[in-house]
Parts: sequence; C-alpha cells; structure tokens
Amino acid sequence: MTTYIINLAILIGINAILAVTLNFILGYAGIFSLAHAIFFGIGAYTAAVLAMKFGADFVVATAAGMVLSGVISLALALPALRVRGEYFVAASLGLQMLALTVFSEWKSVTGGIGGLIGIPPARLFGVDVSDPVWFLCLTLACLAITLLVILMLVRSSFGRNLKAIRDDETAASALGKNVALLKTLAVMVSSAFAAVAGSLYAFYLSFINVESFILEVSVQIIAMVIIGGTATLIGPVIGAVIVLLLPALLTYIPYLPPTEIGSIQQMIYGLAMVLLMIFRPSGLWGYGSDTQKKGAQ
Amino acid sequence: MTGGEILFQADNISKTFGGLKAVNDVSFALRAGIVTTLVGPNGAGKTTLFNAMTGHLVPDQGSVTFLGQSILGLPHWKVARLGIGRTFQDLKLFSHMTVLENVTTATESGSWLWQTGGRASKAARIERIERALDAAQLQPRRDTRAVDLSYAERKFLSIARIMASGARLWLLDEPASGLDRSSYDRFLSVLRNEVKSGVTICIIEHNLDIVQSISDRIAFLDQGKLLAEGEPKTILSDPALAAIYFGERAQ
Repeated sequence: MTTYIINLAILIGINAILAVTLNFILGYAGIFSLAHAIFFGIGAYTAAVLAMKFGADFVVATAAGMVLSGVISLALALPALRVRGEYFVAASLGLQMLALTVFSEWKSVTGGIGGLIGIPPARLFGVDVSDPVWFLCLTLACLAITLLVILMLVRSSFGRNLKAIRDDETAASALGKNVALLKTLAVMVSSAFAAVAGSLYAFYLSFINVESFILEVSVQIIAMVIIGGTATLIGPVIGAVIVLLLPALLTYIPYLPPTEIGSIQQMIYGLAMVLLMIFRPSGLWGYGSDTQKKGAQ
Repeated sequence: MTGGEILFQADNISKTFGGLKAVNDVSFALRAGIVTTLVGPNGAGKTTLFNAMTGHLVPDQGSVTFLGQSILGLPHWKVARLGIGRTFQDLKLFSHMTVLENVTTATESGSWLWQTGGRASKAARIERIERALDAAQLQPRRDTRAVDLSYAERKFLSIARIMASGARLWLLDEPASGLDRSSYDRFLSVLRNEVKSGVTICIIEHNLDIVQSISDRIAFLDQGKLLAEGEPKTILSDPALAAIYFGERAQ
C-alpha cells in the first residue's frame, strides 16, 4: 500500500512539473501548445540514452535534456510565434505528430515502438537513487526548483512582459516589447523545464516508449492546467493531483467493473471540464476564489 | 505657439486599402513641445495616419522621419523604443494586470529575462512609475485590476502608461471621449503639465471644446487629404472647413 502511494505521489510530482511548465506559456503568455508531451519525451529519451550509453548521472542527463528540448523548441517557436495564436496551435499539433513519428521510427536511438528498456537508476553525486522514498524526495525537489524558477520569472519584468502580451499583443508592442522574442524565450524556458519531468520519468520507470508522449498526454496536461487554474502557481499542481488521483479513486468504488473505469474516467473528465467552463472558467484555484483575489498573477 | 525643432516629419504619405485611399499624399510636421490636433469627420484617415506614423501600417509611399531618422518600415516596437508612444481608441489596457503592473510594464521594454541598466535605471523606472500614478491620481487604485476600473480611471491609466514609458512624442487617439466634464478638465490639465515638461503631443479629437482648449496647432483632414494646417483660431473659424466637419460638404 505504501509503495502504491509513493508511486502515485512520484507520478503526481512529475505531472505537476509538466502542468506548471505548460501553465507558464498557457496561463502567463497566452500561448496554447499541443506539443508539451514532446518536450517531456525529449527529456526522457535524452536522459535514458545518456544514462544507458554513457552512464551519465541525473544532473548531467537532465541538463542535456533541458538544453536539447530548449533548442528543439526553437524549431516550433521561431516561425510560429511570428503569427497570432491559432497558427501556433496548428504548428504545435504538427510538431506533436512529427516528433512522435521520429520517436517511433528512430529505432537506433529511441528503440522504436518497443522503446528503451533497462534504464539504470538515477545516480546523484555518485549515489544511486533507487529507493522510491528517495526518488520521491528527488521529484519533489525538482518540482520545488521548477516552481521557484517560474515564480521568479513571473514576478520579474519578463513575467510582466508575458502577461502584457497575453492581455493585448498590439498594446504590448506599442510599448516597445519585442513580442516574437519574448514568446520564443517563454517557450524555450517552458520546454526546457518539461524535459526535467521527462528525465525523472525515464529514471523512475526504467522503461520508456512512445506511448507516454502521445497527443492524449499533451491534452491531459492542458486539462490539468485548466482544471487547476491558469495563471496561478499552485493551480496546475492541484490540477495534476486531481487528474492523477481520479483513476486511483475510481478503483475504490464498489461494484464498478474494472474494464469500465477508463470510460467512466473520460466521462468524469468531460463533465468536469464542462462544469468548470460554466461555473469557474479560471479553474479551481484561478482568479475569483477569495484566496486568490489578492494573489492572482 | 509654433513650437521648437521638428520632431516628426511625414512627407507625401499615402495608404490604400483595396480601392479606398485612406491617406492621400499627406505631408505634415510635428514640432517639439506643443499639442497638434488632427481633426476631421469620421473616415478622414486620422487613425490610419497614426498607424502609419507608428509602424502599425507601412505606407504605400512617402517618408516618415523622427528626430531626423527614417522610421519607415520599422516594426512598431522599434518605433516605440525610439520614443513614440501611442494610445488607442479602445484603450487596449492589460485587463488582467493591476494598475501598478500596467504602468510598471510600460517602463520595461527590454526583452530578456531581466532589465539592463542596474540600480540607477531601476530607481529611475520606479520614479517614473510613481510620478505617472500620482499625475493620473491612480495611487489608491494601484492594486486594482484594469478590468475592474471605472471608464474614466481606464482613460487615465492609458495616459499613466504612456507617461511611464518615457515617450517623447505622444499620439493620443480620442483620449477624452466619453469623459464627463470634471474628468476631462483634469485630463487636459495632466496633458498641459506634460507639455510644459517637454513632451510633444498629437491628438485625434472630435470634441471641439477640447480641440480649442488644448491645441497649439490643428491639422484638418478629410477623405484622406490634409486640407489645412495652422493655428486653432484660423482653422476653427474657416467656414468651408466647418461645413465639411459638420457634414455640409462644399460643392
């Protein structure tokens, strides 16, 4: 039971990093990306390959994944961010499909459809982090660092510039803001930190394949952000907890056939999204709740 | 009042949308330290001219210079960084940001993760922010989101934002429309103070009371053409221009 809870907590932590990093561009800059799972995947594959082939430790493998993810995000950001929102959504969907094909076809690196098996445990400063409790601590530390970096950026002039662009791009550029450059930097930061989640995921499961980085995963991360609350620091974390706990909680409902849990889960997600859009469009932790009226970013 | 050096110069600007010539061979200059008002009936090309002056539109022909430097074809964020600020008819405030954030971000045009210039630059930015909030009388509302402000407060926020930006030339698109008498008196007083401190202002305005009380020069446009330019008493007393303005077009 304890192992099960720790496992769940680690997966929640990893998904919370994904939700927080997506929220950085979706909530604060108004950039809607359908390719976040790809940057998650780039981090996972980079860390796995470096650990398996070169015995890289967690920090080096993660840093390499962040750099690669940030650089590859430029391929999406540079051409697409020069145009308005809907074109970026289309371009991100294109990247999602293209990169998924690369993941499944570049067999010598990614292992193809079968994926990479036997990824060694994360090694941190010469010590293997194979114990689930310690891995949970590592995950929470990574989440805390990600939250701290995002908080600092959001409260800085860079964060204000992004929010200005989100609220009115024309007015932002009339105040001298280089909108394309600011949005490109935001996407780079978001993609780089999504790779941290990928690295944790690869080291924790010791196995990855293309199924973990499909479009449905990108959509699920968007759901976490929207359910929790866009443009808030804690909202996406709450969203990740809810989205990941839901299937676990459903298994405890008596007389529910296990084969139907997936369908019921989809129905609950759908219903929750519709109800939120009607009654609380800014999400559970979004602007409008009494606790957030003073603190919403 | 004729003003000082020529700050901004437009020569033979034209802009066509499909078959419509929105701006037709317009030439005019804005001199430093005065208020020039663009007047004319709806559809005269005033806002299109503003857009061409700020890089939001590229004119089909003509040249545009600011402080002697050509700004034709520059993206509008680069034009803004040279010192030309503008407001919009629909204000375009950052609705979900507070008043303080709206004004603060106007001082932060650097695109990197931080603003350059160190402590001295930061102190200067803070001073500009506080001065703008004081002048617009928005200090008590500094933590209120722009979307929660009254209409008049929003108008003053748009002015506070351009004030904080440090722009040397302000292009204001119908800045006082919809304001009640006491608000627009206060509004004009803010603008006058700024002009005294060296700012140059060009306004699009329909309210002739405001035009008369604030303008040092008036440029009259109709159907994309600059029909007259001169001192307010000369322009406003011209019966032919008045007829055009009030819809009695000369035959």
